[in-house]
Amino acid sequence: MAAASSSTTSTAAAKLAPTFTGEPTKCAAFTSSRPSQLLFNSKKFALGPAKLSSIRCIIAKESVAPMETAKKDSDPAKWLRPDSFGRFGKFGGKYVPETLMYALSELESAFHKLATDQEFQDELNGILRDYVGRESPLYFAERLTEHYKRSNGEGPLIYLKREDLNHTGAHKINNAVAQALLAKRLGKKRIIAETGAGQHGVATATVCARFGLQCIIYMGAQDMERQALNVFRMRLLGAEVCYSFYYVRAVHSGTATLKDATSEAIRDWVTNVETTHYILGSVAGPHPYPMMVREFHAVIGKETKKQAMEKWGGKPDVLVACVGGGSNAIGLFHEFINDQDVRLIGVEAAGSGIDTGKHAATLTKGEVGVLHGAMSYLLQDDDGQIVEPHSISAGLDYPGVGPEHSFLKDEGRAEYHSVTDTEALEAFKRLSQLEGIIPALETSHALAYLEQLCPTLPNGTRVVLNCSGRGDKDVQTAIKHLKV
Amino acid sequence: MLGAHNQIACNNIQTLFLQRKISIRPFTSKTRICTAASVISGSSVTHKTWSPLSMEKPLSKALLETDAWKVIPGKFGRFGGKYVPETLITSLKQLENEFNFVLQDTAFQGELSTALREYVGRETPLYFAERLTNHYKDENGEGPEIYLKREDLNHMGAHKINNAIAQVMIAKRMGRKSVVAATGAGQHGVATAAACAKLGLECTVYMGTDDTEKQSSKSNVLLMNLLGAQVKGVNGSFKDASSEAIRGWVGDLERSYYLCGTVVGPHPCPSMVREFQSVIGKETRRQAMEKWGGKPEVLIACVGSGSNALGLFNEFIKDEEVRLIGVEAAGFGLDSGRHSATLSRGEVGVYHGAMTYLLQDEEGQILGPHSIGVGKIFAYFVLKQKHIKSCTYRLEYPGVGPEISFLKDSGRAEFYTATDHEAVDAYKRLCRLEGIFPALEASHALAFLDKLCPTLPNGAKVVVNCSGHGYKDAATVFNYQQQPQ
Repeated sequence: MAAASSSTTSTAAAKLAPTFTGEPTKCAAFTSSRPSQLLFNSKKFALGPAKLSSIRCIIAKESVAPMETAKKDSDPAKWLRPDSFGRFGKFGGKYVPETLMYALSELESAFHKLATDQEFQDELNGILRDYVGRESPLYFAERLTEHYKRSNGEGPLIYLKREDLNHTGAHKINNAVAQALLAKRLGKKRIIAETGAGQHGVATATVCARFGLQCIIYMGAQDMERQALNVFRMRLLGAEVCYSFYYVRAVHSGTATLKDATSEAIRDWVTNVETTHYILGSVAGPHPYPMMVREFHAVIGKETKKQAMEKWGGKPDVLVACVGGGSNAIGLFHEFINDQDVRLIGVEAAGSGIDTGKHAATLTKGEVGVLHGAMSYLLQDDDGQIVEPHSISAGLDYPGVGPEHSFLKDEGRAEYHSVTDTEALEAFKRLSQLEGIIPALETSHALAYLEQLCPTLPNGTRVVLNCSGRGDKDVQTAIKHLKV
Repeated sequence: MLGAHNQIACNNIQTLFLQRKISIRPFTSKTRICTAASVISGSSVTHKTWSPLSMEKPLSKALLETDAWKVIPGKFGRFGGKYVPETLITSLKQLENEFNFVLQDTAFQGELSTALREYVGRETPLYFAERLTNHYKDENGEGPEIYLKREDLNHMGAHKINNAIAQVMIAKRMGRKSVVAATGAGQHGVATAAACAKLGLECTVYMGTDDTEKQSSKSNVLLMNLLGAQVKGVNGSFKDASSEAIRGWVGDLERSYYLCGTVVGPHPCPSMVREFQSVIGKETRRQAMEKWGGKPEVLIACVGSGSNALGLFNEFIKDEEVRLIGVEAAGFGLDSGRHSATLSRGEVGVYHGAMTYLLQDEEGQILGPHSIGVGKIFAYFVLKQKHIKSCTYRLEYPGVGPEISFLKDSGRAEFYTATDHEAVDAYKRLCRLEGIFPALEASHALAFLDKLCPTLPNGAKVVVNCSGHGYKDAATVFNYQQQPQ
């Protein structure tokens, strides 16, 4: 997902001037990048660290009273995830221009209607089974378990949820397929998406080919050059790949990448909102996307619960998943959030190290702000500008995180850690050689955390790790760094 | 001319094993190595139309019940057999015994089905390809229904793993510590390396330098390295890799296990691989029953050496109303001399320890086959070959599994061909219509639908074996399109 530039802040402010009270300044709105004069000097509004217990961000005409912060030992079953405004506690929401509000409400009501529509559910389940290849197995990683046994032969039992076996090799297809089906139900003929390295673009183009929808993928010009093969794949799938029209400007600013692609995609959506659906790839973005994408990925957790019951007659003790935007993690966690005895662990990318400034560990080092239409933790500097994240894995290289993760962190329901590029590469090699499964570099971050986790777990603890994607795409990168 | 060929064959074996002073088992008089006078110049069957080649000899019920049908282990009619030097006979016998034992050992079968389910990701879906079906409908809206057996969803992206995992389990059972294999473009090598990593055995894969240099195979070499296998480059192509692999095996018979990747070679290899791949057909039967309460009417699969085809067909061989169609690679076209259409243009001979159809010249030398599709994986000792240096594309297997040869001769199965161009078109078609990247091999099977569908009645159920995914083949297709046609 992209980081917005300074010009977007001013544009957002310009559009929202009549009702904007100007309180929080760390807002990077989810809108296009047309330049306009700065409405206010952001330097004047330096908020302290994000440990404030409440933040008022009044954008809508009617005032929205902030939700009371839930106490740490409150019952997760009582949490509204999200509430009717699309908030998870203080996170989430719908920070978007007026033109998109209708599209989002339409999407939300369609989603709620289809959730109870048996025909839709049957069709979706059929596609998940026959096209995507679900259900994915819960695989007991015997040699990996042996590897983590202590000298007295004790250690946890490690299971991998094999999302890498899905069609297209990652969990992303679960959501893409459901959103395409939803768009079709809504009568939309056109699908748009933005992509950085190309994975989400290919997944979107795949489902559009399957359902016969017109597909437009926005990609930064530089990315298109670097990922020429992925561009070719998207074109083979019948998608139209467009580069950012602001190529010239982007070159001056030194990037022609995901940021511009997102801007372009948004502009397209604003212009064509009646005929077009925007397939967002993760649990970020304005309501109802975080909720929708979570529901579409929740099949991962539902299957895991069933498979765990079949295998050992109980629940998992620990769930581990990598967190970039947060979709695969939420997909696994969602089913178990109300089960307080299940520990939830998210692992982010520490890049070169969280103290180097070159990382993507949003929940560890970020502060609360608004990015891409939602309030969440994000990596920003003192001026409220987005900090460019760094990670060896493209999928975790996102300066924000889904609002629900921010909420789970603040509530203490889930723990978030981070691992460096080096540790991830080691884990990549380890799983390949111990189990013959080549994990995606994103997944390798979750696997790397096992090094720290397993020695602390009692004998026989059942750990389920979400193997969110396969690593064929990462072989060149890994070899370069590992020098195998 | 029989003697001359025997001489050539014997010389070749001697060359291979001379250092070890092994006595060569003489070829019996039953060996019929034909002079392939008409291989290149073409047979009387034209391939401009797709008229069935082997339908002149319809299969009779009597034939199915006679002893021509697989009564002698390792023989499929006149095909198959065990044309190997004496030293290997004992090892092959040991393997055969072990294989027969595991077939009925419930513990092994239970362990294997767990591995297939949780590691490989079986069972693979039988997917109704709606948009592809609509594409083939005529003006009246009539046409066959096309289903894809999704072997591309397996772990490591192809059907090869079904066999690799089972055989590595056998190797472990036999107490072997290392596995040896040879691979063409790398798919079998990758599957073997993965299975060995999972079960903790050492893995050595031999690969010809002609192949390791090719862009499309380089990523497979990297994958094998990552999986902990040792990739040994051998000067030349896969035939040289096979020879080296055999040497490697023969030199360490107690400790190492030879993993054959496809349904070729001396008995018990073809039967073993067929048996382990037959899970494809078994699942298809059950899924067809669930979906439409019947059997498929037509089964189509690509044929290099035949493992994915036999895997799908085996279950239905005795169901005469099910039509079995294999599609080989016609490369640049059957008359170009650059193809791998063994059954269309080959003659019977002995190759890699088995009697089967193969592409050979007048002197009984193996021809270097050509196709855009991935080289078929197999590994046995090799007859000396004169090797036509072909184009940039990878090599195909110049022979075919003996059981496939038998299916052709008995008329039970029909075999056709598809050119590189038709395969690439089919690849692009499936991407565009279904969002599935088929392997270029499987694209040959899909290409044949163009000719087949207009002839089928409305609602005929066609199952195509989508034997692997072609995500990586996008690069090959890209390069192919750049070249002047």
